[in-house]
Parts: sequence; C-alpha cells; structure tokens
Amino acid sequence: MFMVTTEVLSIDEAYAAVRRDDCGAVALFIGTVRDHHDGKKVTKISYSAFKEMAEKEFAKIGTECMARWKVGAVHIAHRTGPLLIGDASVVIAVSSAHRAEAFEACRHAIEALKKLAPIWKEEFYAEGKAWISG
Amino acid sequence: MKIAVQLFGPLAEQAGRSTIEVTTSGNTVADVVAALSFKLDRSVRFAVNTDYAEASAIIREGDTVSLIPPVGGG
Repeated sequence: MFMVTTEVLSIDEAYAAVRRDDCGAVALFIGTVRDHHDGKKVTKISYSAFKEMAEKEFAKIGTECMARWKVGAVHIAHRTGPLLIGDASVVIAVSSAHRAEAFEACRHAIEALKKLAPIWKEEFYAEGKAWISG
Repeated sequence: MKIAVQLFGPLAEQAGRSTIEVTTSGNTVADVVAALSFKLDRSVRFAVNTDYAEASAIIREGDTVSLIPPVGGG
C-alpha cells in the first residue's frame, strides 16, 4: 500500500501488507520524530503533503523497487499533521526471498522518498519554527 | 487561460493561502510562473497535475500547476 494519512501509522499493518509465503525476509524502516535538530530542542513537528502526488510518487518508488531488486511487495506510509517526539512519521516495509534485496530496496525507498515525495516538514522549537528540507 | 496554482509548505505560509488563480496568454509552466505576483527561488520545482514538470512543460485548460518548494518528507 502507498498512503499519506493523518492516522497513527501501524507497523503491524506494514508488515502484514508485504509478508508473502515465498519471501523469507521483511525489511522495515521507521522514521521517528527526533528531539533535536542543529543544536536546538524540537518540541513538535508538523508534516503537510500534496497527498495525491505523494501517493503516486510512493507507487513509483514501489514499482522501481520491484524492477531493480527481486522484491515481493513494498508498503510506504507517511503521516501528516502535528507529530510529537517519538511519533513515527514514515513506515516502509519491503519483502523479498532473501535479506540482501530487502535491505537494499528498503534503503533505496527511504532515500528516494526523501528526494521526491511532495511532503514538507515544519519544526517547532521553544522559540520559533523552521521549514526543514532534505 | 485561467490556471489554478497550488502552493505548499513555506510558499503557502508566505502567501497566506494554498491556491491562486492565474491568467496567462502563454501555455507553459514558465508562463504561469511569470504571471505570479511574487518571485520564486530557484529551488522551487514544478508539477503539472500530479507529475513533476519542467518550466518548459506545456499546460492545457484545466491543468493545475503546483509549486513544490524543497521537500522534507521521511
């Protein structure tokens, strides 16, 4: 599945979405909100997205993973709205017959998402806020 | 033609809105951008409907142009 949602992300759902009987490996990446950036204490984060285009970019990343590595399935979910320290912002799951492909494809998926997905992050500090890219 | 322009992230915050309607006699993304009342940083990318597009991309009646400032997902 490829989705942008305001709901809390489910790791169980991500795993279930990609698990296959012919796959012996599932690699998971979970991005969580960190409490600091550039020496400043982060109090919360807000993500916004061009939802329709982001989901389309996730699907393209999934297709690319299927083509470049022998993966069984790919699941990419990103949360939007206000998130607190420790909340999961993104969950990626990839299944494959063997672990090498799952690790590589999962790594590729998060790197591609960070470059391409039309999603924006606003960080809030004790004083002030900033739009953070990259 | 009249084209809807979608703003996101810091651009939407600066403009205080998330859509602008632009009128242009041209037919490219660059023509739409030229018709905006503000200048864009070179780091802003474009999308036509739901696909990334270059400034030279042709647009048609009913298309939506989106201004994509540097992204920060993940």
